[in-house]
Amino acid sequence: MRKANWLLLAMALLLSVFLAACSGGSSSEGDSSGEDTGSTEEGTDEGTSEEGGEASGEQVLNLLDTSQIPTMDSSLATDAVAFQYLGSTMEGLYRLGENAEPVPGIAEGEPEVSEDGLTWNIKLREDAVWSNGDPVTAHDFVFAWRRAIDPDTGSEYGPFMMNDVLKNATAINNGEKDVEELGVEAVSDYELKITLEKAVPYFHSLLTFGTYLPLNEDFVTEQGDDYALTSDNLIYNGPFTLEDWDPKANESWTMKKNPDYWDAETVQLEEINVDVVKETSTAVNLYETGETDRASLTAEFVEQYAGTEDYRTMPEPTLFYLKMNQANEYLKNQNIRKAIAMAINKQDMVDVILANGSIVANGAVPVDFTTHPESGEDFRDINGDLLTTDKEKAKELWQKGLDELGVDSIELGYLGGDTETATEMDAYIKNQLEDTLEGLTVNISSVPFEERLARDEASDYDIQNSGWGPDYLDPSTWLNMWTSDSPYMTMNYNNEEYDKLIKEANNELLTDLPARYDNFLEAEKVLMDDAAIAPLYQRSRAYLWRPSVKGVIFQPMGADFSYKWAYIEE
Amino acid sequence: MDKEKLNKDLFVPAKPDENESEQIQRPNLTYWQDAWRRLKTNKGAIFGLVVIVLIGIMSIIGPHFNEDGVDDQDLGLSKLPPRVQGLESIQWLRLDGTKTETYEAASVEAAKERIRQRFTQTDDEFITYDVKREGDGSKDSAKVAGFYHVYEAKGLQDEYFWFGTDTLGRDLFTRTWYGTRISLLIAFVAAAIDMLIGVAYGGISGYFGGRTDNVMQRIIEILVGIPNLVVVILMIMILDPGIIAIIIALTITGWTGMARIVRGQVLKLKGQEFVLASRTLGSSHPRILSKHLIPNTLGMIIVNTMFTIPNAIFFEAFLSFIGLGLQPPDASLGTLINDGFKALQINPHIMIFPAIVISLIMIGFNILADGLRDALDPKMRE
Amino acid sequence: MVRYILQRLGYMLLTLFLIATFSFFLMKMLPGSPMKAEQKLSEAQLEILYEKYNLDDPVPVQYINYLGNLAQGDLGVSFQMNNQPVTALLASRIPVSAHLGFQAMILGTILGMLLGLVAAVRNNSWIDYTSNVISVIGISIPSFIFAGLLQYFVGVKLGLLPIAFWEGFQHTIMPTIALAIFPLAIAARFLRTEMIEVLGSDYIVTARAKGVTKGGIMFKHGLRNALIPLVTVMGPMAVSLMTGTLVIEQIFSIPGIGEQFVTSVTTNDFPVIMGTTLFFAFFFILIILVIDILYGIIDPRIRLAGGKD
Repeated sequence: MRKANWLLLAMALLLSVFLAACSGGSSSEGDSSGEDTGSTEEGTDEGTSEEGGEASGEQVLNLLDTSQIPTMDSSLATDAVAFQYLGSTMEGLYRLGENAEPVPGIAEGEPEVSEDGLTWNIKLREDAVWSNGDPVTAHDFVFAWRRAIDPDTGSEYGPFMMNDVLKNATAINNGEKDVEELGVEAVSDYELKITLEKAVPYFHSLLTFGTYLPLNEDFVTEQGDDYALTSDNLIYNGPFTLEDWDPKANESWTMKKNPDYWDAETVQLEEINVDVVKETSTAVNLYETGETDRASLTAEFVEQYAGTEDYRTMPEPTLFYLKMNQANEYLKNQNIRKAIAMAINKQDMVDVILANGSIVANGAVPVDFTTHPESGEDFRDINGDLLTTDKEKAKELWQKGLDELGVDSIELGYLGGDTETATEMDAYIKNQLEDTLEGLTVNISSVPFEERLARDEASDYDIQNSGWGPDYLDPSTWLNMWTSDSPYMTMNYNNEEYDKLIKEANNELLTDLPARYDNFLEAEKVLMDDAAIAPLYQRSRAYLWRPSVKGVIFQPMGADFSYKWAYIEE
Repeated sequence: MDKEKLNKDLFVPAKPDENESEQIQRPNLTYWQDAWRRLKTNKGAIFGLVVIVLIGIMSIIGPHFNEDGVDDQDLGLSKLPPRVQGLESIQWLRLDGTKTETYEAASVEAAKERIRQRFTQTDDEFITYDVKREGDGSKDSAKVAGFYHVYEAKGLQDEYFWFGTDTLGRDLFTRTWYGTRISLLIAFVAAAIDMLIGVAYGGISGYFGGRTDNVMQRIIEILVGIPNLVVVILMIMILDPGIIAIIIALTITGWTGMARIVRGQVLKLKGQEFVLASRTLGSSHPRILSKHLIPNTLGMIIVNTMFTIPNAIFFEAFLSFIGLGLQPPDASLGTLINDGFKALQINPHIMIFPAIVISLIMIGFNILADGLRDALDPKMRE
Repeated sequence: MVRYILQRLGYMLLTLFLIATFSFFLMKMLPGSPMKAEQKLSEAQLEILYEKYNLDDPVPVQYINYLGNLAQGDLGVSFQMNNQPVTALLASRIPVSAHLGFQAMILGTILGMLLGLVAAVRNNSWIDYTSNVISVIGISIPSFIFAGLLQYFVGVKLGLLPIAFWEGFQHTIMPTIALAIFPLAIAARFLRTEMIEVLGSDYIVTARAKGVTKGGIMFKHGLRNALIPLVTVMGPMAVSLMTGTLVIEQIFSIPGIGEQFVTSVTTNDFPVIMGTTLFFAFFFILIILVIDILYGIIDPRIRLAGGKD
């Protein structure tokens, strides 16, 4: 016993000496390298010597992400992070190029499309190989697509991206037909024949999407349940290979240039290191000390960095809006909905609360997304501002709505958003609504993302702050979800005229593109006139980017960034 | 040493007075008076008490010091630094309504340019500079501190926000005291519920003993094994996050500590004579418990409660940090600190004031509880 | 002693069983389904998935299956990270958190004890006041504020230590300090109070009268008796380390179990939540058991067999 006590004390002394020595040692190190030296890598020089990045011209990129990659199985991927790393390590038939145009990937050139737009013949390049040496063949696509639509796989995006697009997809997914009947077949090892259900005009851009990536049947079958659990259970055919990815154990991973990639000579980056960092302040601190080349900024930090050359905003076609559940007797009233949509000062909101380049949204389709097939005019320019802030009008409509309902006060629940600025945004919207619309009480409940989705699906909300990013380049990615039979229709909105316009656009008018586009324009007007949703803003994201990093392409859908053409120029 | 001879006549036998012999010389102090007397001599405890009382009073009247309401937003007044009348000239206090930033650059002019950028200004109209080090052209050789006079720049010369404002332009003075009120409310209610359940449970368990005690103790033993944190998070997942959910979550296992303490005390006391006497006189069980046993354990109960309150406040802050706290625009010290934490490096004023208040509350309660423990401990009685 | 420990282990199992049951039915009660995006899957898909995860069985059957799997150490697979087994997930995360927690505990208690000891011996000196100030700061500032300040000033401004991640000893220093500050404060405070009381007691006076050296008094008589109450605070300390890791791991981007738990809570990843809950409960009960046993070792007056009081 006595000994034990002495031992403890001795240990204490030892430890304190030890700690003092450690901090002393590194402080001299810190002094010699000085502060704010930008690209030197202080602190990590031990143990992770590979991480370098300061030598001029060394093609290593250090990045941060806010969450773990949930899955690398292209059939099961559903979120932006998964599609980001699938996009960097895998190659589909096409990949998005600089202006969001599909450029050939595994496909050798542009597809041959039949007269009726239903049959697509695509020749594959013969030099593409998987990282285990197997060639990438047409069979890999057939296997992957069948796997995604097979009800056994339980894929969410399989049916979402393929139903009503690929022939028989819907029936297969419902278990009514065999997977072999899916409209895709390998004519030869290097020729793919795709049969569509309808002549979908945006099919070309769909082919760049993660769900349409190929899978090596032998490898996937061999791995079984272990497929894509770690980077060791994966093979790649894209610009980079993934290494040290094990979501069970690590919050970091590395992408290395894939020497077997068919277009390897275009790829200049040798290595991309990614770490998961959830706190923005930590990310900014890492940027300050040069340990990362990119940090995403919240509004708080924009104030500090807005004037620097490292600051970049990336506008994206992602819309945020309020969903108003018409199962609520008050929200069923059109005037009430319109009043709510007009009562919020959106300009102040994007300028002060978001402060990252986001712009006010006054419609259901974002700006700079698609153009009219004939005139080439932007969708937004044609339809203009449909639902703008107008507090006086809002008050008027509100009074009218109250009179119609025969009440003088209304209480509504508000399901909060889940972005970084959500707390402030929600508090602001509540305040704006209650201030402008007399007799309205808004009760905020903010819940985590998954919980919000669960409540959304159960239609368990009055008003919900929600957002949507596009899946392919066509207005239908925005407008399909507001039809009464859409799986995303949780707000009980039902307008026959709207349903009819969208239905026509997705069927009869598929071959008459200008008329189809006009239908979408018309449908948006109907939607906004009903104030089914109250558009808030079109998001832009603020980043600190090391100015020496060049050639990173920002993509409107699928993966956020493409590193295939990126390089570092010191 | 002189040995003085004393005259024996000086010594007269005292007159025995029967009335006086029974008289108590020292004032008759009850247990509480005695405790209070001892507490008063403990400077730390008194300091703690004063701090708590002051913060308590401020939490009631603070939000009404000015016309700004808790949720009065004005984005035009976003993120103003603190400014207090009369304290503007004392520079180190930083209550003069300026934002400051120090930059290093190759030359003074370059550093100034960086400062202008930081405050998104094109000229020097509202910026004053303090050149700390003249540059010689080499990297980071010049060092300049810039002061941006925000109130003047926004034409608010006559406005004073004592604690500044947050992103939505809400007055932080009002919100801090309002948040203090909510935090204290959560803590007091949670502590009161803990006390009620704990005292009743512990009292019954200790008093009746035997099989009742055995079963009740086994239940506690199991409950104690469940980590508080897990229960809190699970509870908040079922209930909507909010004041009530937090209170329920805090109390669902929180009372076990109190129950154990009360039980121990009751076990010790129940065999004593005064209890026996009361029982012989025919008092009912509830009467013995409530009139004799519980009052005698009150000291321990109070001390334990004093430790519970700051813990509850801290836990609420922690819940806010992981995103399970109150709903906006409601405010507690936890949500205010969490909001401010995000902007700590750019607008430190948003976090500092609520952080100071929470620290004062923690210090106050902890040293008061320490003092109370000493004061209420009969062993310390002189 | 052996019987006592066995009995306690029995209770431990019972507690774990009850927690498992409680969390199982809680998850069943929760709104929404564990299946991601249920509405977006076809009937056929759902049927197959339900069968795969045995969700089509009646709840009692599911419960029995769950307990059976649990007994074999199988906690199911994560719903958010496709097919990652929860047991493997916990197994690779726990060592990181344990490393951090252990380091913080050691640093906190030892430095805290030293501080408390010195403060008690030099009562009312400047050392005493400094020690008081440190413990008051440790108790009154939430650990995430402390971590944030540490990261900014030591990591960015001074550039002394790495800002984040878990890649070697240097990386563990800041999180350890941030996590240790609370245990340190508690230990210092308790030891100081107890030491002052013990040093004033009769047997110390006697020992001094007998001519025992100052060091002898301090360690043979004083510290040993003052340590007893310190063991009591180890329980709350362990809890504070547990809650601490959630926050500290997030700020310093450390791939530990706390960080994983927060993520699973915010993403409704029920199997991971349940697995982590069980682990936390197990850990917590274990600590209580260890404390009770330690009591017996340090203080011979407390006899474990009679420890039922």
